[in-house]
Amino acid sequence: MADGTENRRPLDELETKSLLVKLIREVHELNQKFDSVVEFGGKILKAQEEFLQRTTKQNHTDRTIKVEPDMVTLFSLPNALRKTAMALYKLEEATAEDLAKETKRLRAVESSAANQLVRMGFLNKRREGRKVYFYIE
Amino acid sequence: MKIREKILAIHSSRGGTGKTTIATNLAATFAREGLNIALLDIDFRAPSLFGVFSKGIQKPVKLWLNDFLLDRCSLEHALVDVSEEYGWEGKLLIGFANPAIEAIRNMLGRSKSWEVAAAKKLFSMRTPIFNDMHMDCCILDTSPGIQYSSINGVVSSDVTVIVTTLDSLDIRGVKNMLVEFYDEFEKKSVILMNKVFPQTRMWSEDELNGLITRMEKTFKHPIIGAIPCYCSVLEANRDSLLVVENPDHPFLKDLQEVAKRLEQL
Repeated sequence: MADGTENRRPLDELETKSLLVKLIREVHELNQKFDSVVEFGGKILKAQEEFLQRTTKQNHTDRTIKVEPDMVTLFSLPNALRKTAMALYKLEEATAEDLAKETKRLRAVESSAANQLVRMGFLNKRREGRKVYFYIE
Repeated sequence: MKIREKILAIHSSRGGTGKTTIATNLAATFAREGLNIALLDIDFRAPSLFGVFSKGIQKPVKLWLNDFLLDRCSLEHALVDVSEEYGWEGKLLIGFANPAIEAIRNMLGRSKSWEVAAAKKLFSMRTPIFNDMHMDCCILDTSPGIQYSSINGVVSSDVTVIVTTLDSLDIRGVKNMLVEFYDEFEKKSVILMNKVFPQTRMWSEDELNGLITRMEKTFKHPIIGAIPCYCSVLEANRDSLLVVENPDHPFLKDLQEVAKRLEQL
C-alpha cells in the first residue's frame, strides 16, 4: 500500500500492552509537569496578589484623609461625629458606653461614630480585655 | 450671686468690643462680693491681664499659663492669687499669659498636635479648678475671632458671653459666628452688647427694650445686657481695675446686672 503501512506487521498483544503502559507512564509524567506548571503559576499569582494588596493599601492610605484631631478640624466634621469627638475631649478616654452616657445617644451610634473617627485617624483605640477604649492621642 | 462651677468664655468676633475690660471687672466684682474666681488669660497672642493686674502682684510671676499648657507645671502653680493685695472677700486666682515677645512667638509657632494637647488640658482643668481649688466660677478671657486659643476656650466652656458693639461689622461677625461656630458646637451662647449708646445721651427704658428685642430677633440668642459707652471707661488707664479705681462707677452696676442674668442661665 502506498500510505507507508505496507511494511508494518500487526502488533501482537504483548507489544500493545507495552505501548499502553508506556503511554500511561508518559501521560502521568505530563500530568506531573502540568501540576508543576500550575503550582508555579499559582505562586506567581499569589505574589502578584500580595503586591497588589500592598500597593493598594498604600495608595488607600495615601488617599485617606488623615485628620489632625484639633479643634479647627472639628469644624469640618459632620455633626454626629463632632459630638463624639467633643465628648472624648472631655472624657479623655472612653468606651462606647461611656460616650453614650455623655452624649445621651445610643451605644451603637457612639460605637459607629468612634470607629469612623478611628478610621479617619482622628481617634485611637485600645483593647483591654473585652472592652475597647477610644482616645485622642 | 451664685455661678456655681461654670466656665464662662468671654469672646467677640473682633477686637475693641471691651471684652477684656468686661472679663477683668466681672471677675473682680465677683471676688469683691465673696465668690472665688479663677480668671485665665488665654489670649496668648495679645496678653492683657498681666498689665491690668500688675499693680496687684507682689512677687514676680515665675510660672505663666503658657507653662501649664506646655506641661511645665500644674494649673495650681500657674495661678497667681491677687485677693490679698486687693482685700476682697472672695479669692481671685489669675492665670496670666506671658506678655514677653519671645513667649508670644513661641505660642504662635505651635503645631496642630500641640493645639490638640492644649485643648485637652483646658478640658481637664475643670476638676482642679472646682474640686481641688474650690473655685465658684472660672472666666476665660479669649482672643477675638476664630483662632486655636479662642476655639479651645469657647469649646471647653459652659457658657460663651459674646461681647459686641452696635457696629455693623461686629454684628455681621457675631451673626456668622453664631451660625457657623457656636451653634455648630452646640455651645450655650448669650450676647452682651457694649458701648451701645453714649453716656451723654442715655436711652429711655423703652428705647433700650426696643433695641434688645430687635437684637434678639437678629441674633436669635438671648441678650443679657446693653451697656452704655462711658467716656470715663474709655479714657481710663487700661492697666488698672475700675473696681479698684472707681468702685461706684455705673459701668460696674451694669456688670452686676449682667452677672445676675448669668446666674439664671
